[in-house]
Amino acid sequence: MSSKRELWSAAACCRFCGSSLLEPLSEASFRRRRAAASCRTPKSAVFCLAALLFAALALARDFPPEALPPKPLVLPTPALRVLPNGLKVVAIERHLLPLLTLRLVVKSGAESDPATLPGTAQLVSALLTEGTSTRSASQISEAIDSIGGLVDAGAEWDESYVSLSVLNDHEDLAFDLLSDMVIHPTFLPSEVERKRKQTLSGLVVVRDDPDYVADAALRRLAFLGTSYGHPEDGTISSVRRMTPEDLRAFYNNYYQPSNAVLAIVGDIETGEAFERAQKHFGAWTNRAAPQIPAASPAVGSHRIVAIDKPDAVQTEIRIGNLGVPRQSPDYLALSVADQILGGPSENRLFKALRSHNGLTYGASSELLSYQSAGVWLAKTFTRTPETMKSVHLALEQIKRMHEHPITPGELETAQGYLIGHLALDFETSEDVASQTLELLVYNLPLDYWNRFPERIRALTAEEVWNAARQRLAPDNNIIVLVGNLSGFEKDLKKLGPVEFIPLAEVDFGSDELVPRGGQTRCK
Amino acid sequence: MSRIFHQAPKARAVILAVALFLLTGICEAVTLPRTTIRALTLPNGLQACLVEDHQAPVVNVQVWYHVGSKNEVPGRTGFAHLFEHLMFEGTTNIGSDQFSDYVIRSGGVDNAYTTEDSTVFWETTPSSQLPVVLWLEADRMRNLDITATVFNNEREVVEEERRLRFDNPPYGTVVETLYQHAYGVHPYQHMTIGSMHDLDNARLEDIRDFYDTYYVPNNATVVIVGDMDPQEAESMIRKYFGPLERGAHLPSNHIQQEPPQTAERVVKLSLNVALPAFVEGYHMPADGTPDAYPLRLASNILSEGESSRIYRRLVYDKEIALEAQSSGNFTEDPNLFFVFAVMNQGHAPAEGEAEVEAELTRLKTQTVSNDELQKAKNQTLRDFILSRQTLQTRGDELGYAAVILKDANLVNTEPARFLAVTPADIQRVAQKYFVAQNLTLVEVYTKSAAGDKQAGEQSAGGQ
Repeated sequence: MSSKRELWSAAACCRFCGSSLLEPLSEASFRRRRAAASCRTPKSAVFCLAALLFAALALARDFPPEALPPKPLVLPTPALRVLPNGLKVVAIERHLLPLLTLRLVVKSGAESDPATLPGTAQLVSALLTEGTSTRSASQISEAIDSIGGLVDAGAEWDESYVSLSVLNDHEDLAFDLLSDMVIHPTFLPSEVERKRKQTLSGLVVVRDDPDYVADAALRRLAFLGTSYGHPEDGTISSVRRMTPEDLRAFYNNYYQPSNAVLAIVGDIETGEAFERAQKHFGAWTNRAAPQIPAASPAVGSHRIVAIDKPDAVQTEIRIGNLGVPRQSPDYLALSVADQILGGPSENRLFKALRSHNGLTYGASSELLSYQSAGVWLAKTFTRTPETMKSVHLALEQIKRMHEHPITPGELETAQGYLIGHLALDFETSEDVASQTLELLVYNLPLDYWNRFPERIRALTAEEVWNAARQRLAPDNNIIVLVGNLSGFEKDLKKLGPVEFIPLAEVDFGSDELVPRGGQTRCK
Repeated sequence: MSRIFHQAPKARAVILAVALFLLTGICEAVTLPRTTIRALTLPNGLQACLVEDHQAPVVNVQVWYHVGSKNEVPGRTGFAHLFEHLMFEGTTNIGSDQFSDYVIRSGGVDNAYTTEDSTVFWETTPSSQLPVVLWLEADRMRNLDITATVFNNEREVVEEERRLRFDNPPYGTVVETLYQHAYGVHPYQHMTIGSMHDLDNARLEDIRDFYDTYYVPNNATVVIVGDMDPQEAESMIRKYFGPLERGAHLPSNHIQQEPPQTAERVVKLSLNVALPAFVEGYHMPADGTPDAYPLRLASNILSEGESSRIYRRLVYDKEIALEAQSSGNFTEDPNLFFVFAVMNQGHAPAEGEAEVEAELTRLKTQTVSNDELQKAKNQTLRDFILSRQTLQTRGDELGYAAVILKDANLVNTEPARFLAVTPADIQRVAQKYFVAQNLTLVEVYTKSAAGDKQAGEQSAGGQ
């Protein structure tokens, strides 16, 4: 989404974050990527008497006023209808703005890429906007742009999507275009070649981006043995090899009404939404049942990989631990634990690395929770000379989370944040569509978000700590560093055997991160 | 820097639904609901703009200080942004970093950003937290309490931010290079983040002066959008901000304007990146001026959507670029209109520049059709509507209109300025601004391709 002045930043960002030429300017120096929590260092611990600049004023201490009584949050209620062909349709009315958002999700994404062809799901989705049996790529873009529409198509883990937002005087065109792109794509060889070239250029650029390289390497190691380990945008070698037939095969297998969900959000009556869905998607037919990849919850074990980028001035640091699949009964408890370790609320990592030591601009953790596997990831970055200090501090926080109970205060803050924040996750039509579709993709009940506050509130400190303890293995972390090795190589080896890989030799297509037959330098 | 930020009427605006007609060819009307603004000025000079919106029990509060990196003097670059960080580090009433604690435990989020022109602090929280947030903002406007330890820590954090955004990522320093060469006098020459050298030399002693000069009620605008009663919110603002003393020495406008450029400037960079690229910057007028509107629409015509001219030519038809965009960095003082591209392998910057030049020439020599101009207008109006979706973006637009454009009501009236643009306007601004003598060009070569192992920068001025 882009307001007219945000357009500046939106326009400046290339699809591949690594090639965002104007990013430094457009982000306008945000203070932090995620909010910090309180700093509980007692002032007395800091020797700074002489430097108390404005201390003279600190005579009568004042306190913030009481908050007003909270008002209830009423979340939109989605209406669900299943069309005769199996397509699930959810409609959510929002009449404040003359806006209509359609989002179609296919419940198969990058995890369904053929093992030898990572990136297939993304290339398939990217080509949906590039030609149908009755419209050329240019006709599609002209039709959307001329009405001020916004289109987006892509593939993530567990889902592929196309979304289209229009002003509500173009409802008919929106349904017509979206159904045409989803049901009748042509995968024309010339368009495939064009997208291939673009994708390859993008992959070449991001290989120089330490942030991307660190994420991709950690994913490879942490999701070892699952269908979630490869880069979702593919590898240079796989994208080179993909044929229009490969793409069509993926499309035929997964793009079927019985494997898809359509969300209709905005200024449209529910009855009309269902009628239009039937009119435009009713004729979409199923083929053979999709082949869904087998569940494989295995996750990689302890490894330390250091990728050498000699011109780097910062080191990207990733630490991976076991997580949980999205439907796991422990998911919510672990979400609270994640808030405490490195979420926007408590964030022990942020406090240790940034607030207390000035080592980084950002430190956080996140749950990567998918249909059949999950990883708990901690991430930060620091100037080269402070690499090992930062690694040790981050590991220390993981160990602390494993060994010591969480405090009532931490629990309360994390719960308060997760519950209070819910309203902000339902602001835009795109948000509402995504939040609702997530439930359908992961077979969660439609009242999930309505019940979310009470379920979070019911969790005890013990339950949260247990959920965390079961997943963390402080001496068995997966560690990935991307930076100038000469600055920390020697000290890193004290952590255990390290695999060193020059950046140019990294192959994200291989479990070993180096080309088949290649060898990492184990020291 | 001006002292008066906007002339918003003190009386409540009349509630009036004004229909904006999007002439889409199908001739149906889409209406942008009118925003009713309650504007007030306190005796101490503090301005406020309040907008009710009850979509959700949430409120967005912003405090805009009219000070940014263009107020910095040589040798002190990065100070406005560094100061922004310090505003979270404690007051005589609350401890270091407790500010965010108050916001977060209720589910709210808070942050701040600094631009060339302003420093903006914001919180989005459950509406029940409004008095707490306003108290916290008023508290840190005048009671900041910074220790040397905290100062040094935050300086290191900011230096990490600089490394993250500029020094470590591919292409990270390209824009900085462009501005260094495009400006010689005006402080837009330097990035808001500042130079590493100046950050290293920032001193704690400079803080008090900066704080007392700029962080005063008569240099601040409070914006509230969301679930509140404007009358109650006004009482809270008067209660918490009212007692603060007016700043005594807000500097007058001392910023030296950039003289017109007289010859094209070309800079060649050799970087550790995989693909060549280029960025062109044409000097253009400030935001809110009459020419800003046709320039924004020209930017849409050139690169908004896959049917736009530059995308179509460089990315789709010729397949010589991975990405090609144009975009104006519209600010309070005149800034740059950008065109940039990341080239595909085997295609030199010059090849892309020639194609861009052909499109700019077309814009100058042929008037755009009504249909194509209407498409650009529809895209702009869509963005106005999309920005109404979140309290945060509504607050952003309101604060920007009030502080930078000096008329809060522009959130209602600005769309009409876009609708009034004619094909002749587009042609006129293209002819006026997209000329070689007005251009600074940075070409980026890959190190291997340039055969240059040393990171380098060579200036090849005035061609």
